[in-house]
Amino acid sequence: MNFFLYINRKLVFIFGIAVILFFLSVIFSKQVNFMNVESDKYNKSLSKADIDLPRFTINNEEKKIYVSAKEGNFLNSNKILLSKNVRFRSNDFSIETEEVVFNRTEQTANSKSKSLFKAKNTIISSYGFDIFDKGDKIIFYGKSFVVLK
Amino acid sequence: MSSIFKLIFICIISLSSFAREIGETEITTDDGIEVFQNEQYYLLKKNVKIESDNFTLNADNVKIDFENNLNDITELNAEGTVKFSSSEFNLKGKGDKLKFEVRYEKLEIRGSDSELITENIEMFSNGLIKVNNLTGEFSLLGKNSKLINENIIIIGESIEGVFSNNSNNKEITFLNVFDSNLSYVKNDDSEMYAKKINYDDETALIELIDDVAIIRDGEKIVGDYGTLDTKNNSYKIKSSKKSKVKAIIINNEQ
Repeated sequence: MNFFLYINRKLVFIFGIAVILFFLSVIFSKQVNFMNVESDKYNKSLSKADIDLPRFTINNEEKKIYVSAKEGNFLNSNKILLSKNVRFRSNDFSIETEEVVFNRTEQTANSKSKSLFKAKNTIISSYGFDIFDKGDKIIFYGKSFVVLK
Repeated sequence: MSSIFKLIFICIISLSSFAREIGETEITTDDGIEVFQNEQYYLLKKNVKIESDNFTLNADNVKIDFENNLNDITELNAEGTVKFSSSEFNLKGKGDKLKFEVRYEKLEIRGSDSELITENIEMFSNGLIKVNNLTGEFSLLGKNSKLINENIIIIGESIEGVFSNNSNNKEITFLNVFDSNLSYVKNDDSEMYAKKINYDDETALIELIDDVAIIRDGEKIVGDYGTLDTKNNSYKIKSSKKSKVKAIIINNEQ
């Protein structure tokens, strides 16, 4: 067998393994945290959330924005910390994030976690957002990325 | 081995799920976006980059007006070191401020060292460059405004005119140039100076008003009023009672 071909195959194999390990480490560290999955099983029965599966609506003159999450904790009588799979949905758009402080009386929301806004032919990703004026005004914070289709 | 490559392929696809595809417009900002849904506009803040298949724009801040959806853009206002280019229309430009009315194809560039360069025409100004692509109207306002195309150079404080609608060859059909010092127009064989220089394609006459000078074939004729017929390539210069028409023969050999 050709000596150089033999070395190249070995190098290619090692490089392949290295790339796979890199991607697997990225995937497992960011998306599939087995520790969290295990602890979630116990937390389901011993949840510290004040509200399970909270649901709210922001009533705009023109539309309603439905707010949902897996958990909610009261910060005070007006403010609720919504966490895990937080969604804002209206006929025009949706926003997905992991943590939001929702003010029931002022009907505002503030998030500092990574957020994804989706509307017709539009996607916006940002590092947090604020919703004011009953959903009329949305401010996306930090380095933001928009795709218009 | 093939499953390894499949896994790598899936990983790459998942990581590049936000990358722009053909026909899409990608916008990045350093300091977020403000969306005003009722007022139908959004603000892109700090170090804005807009990139589509045939258009790129860089600016400090951008305001975009929309109609029905965020991608239904009606007007774009950019400010702060604006640079843009379009491969489709073969144009590029820069300035301190840019306003583009999409529906009416109106473009305004403001600020010092403003530039608009197309395939046939180059426009420079320290004030304002305004172009209406539908009607062909254009204006350049500000000191040392300059318009250059294949066979004409125009310099003045105010240059207003109309381009022909011939998409292959944009010729000037109407022109008004003014400069409180002196306007300057150079065509293939003549250089013209005057405070006001007007041109109308229908009459084929270039009209020169106040402090007129025409330089052609080594001759410089000065006066107060002049006309140059572009059809038969002849010119006339008149003078008021106080001053006289003066002809100066320039020796090019010296």
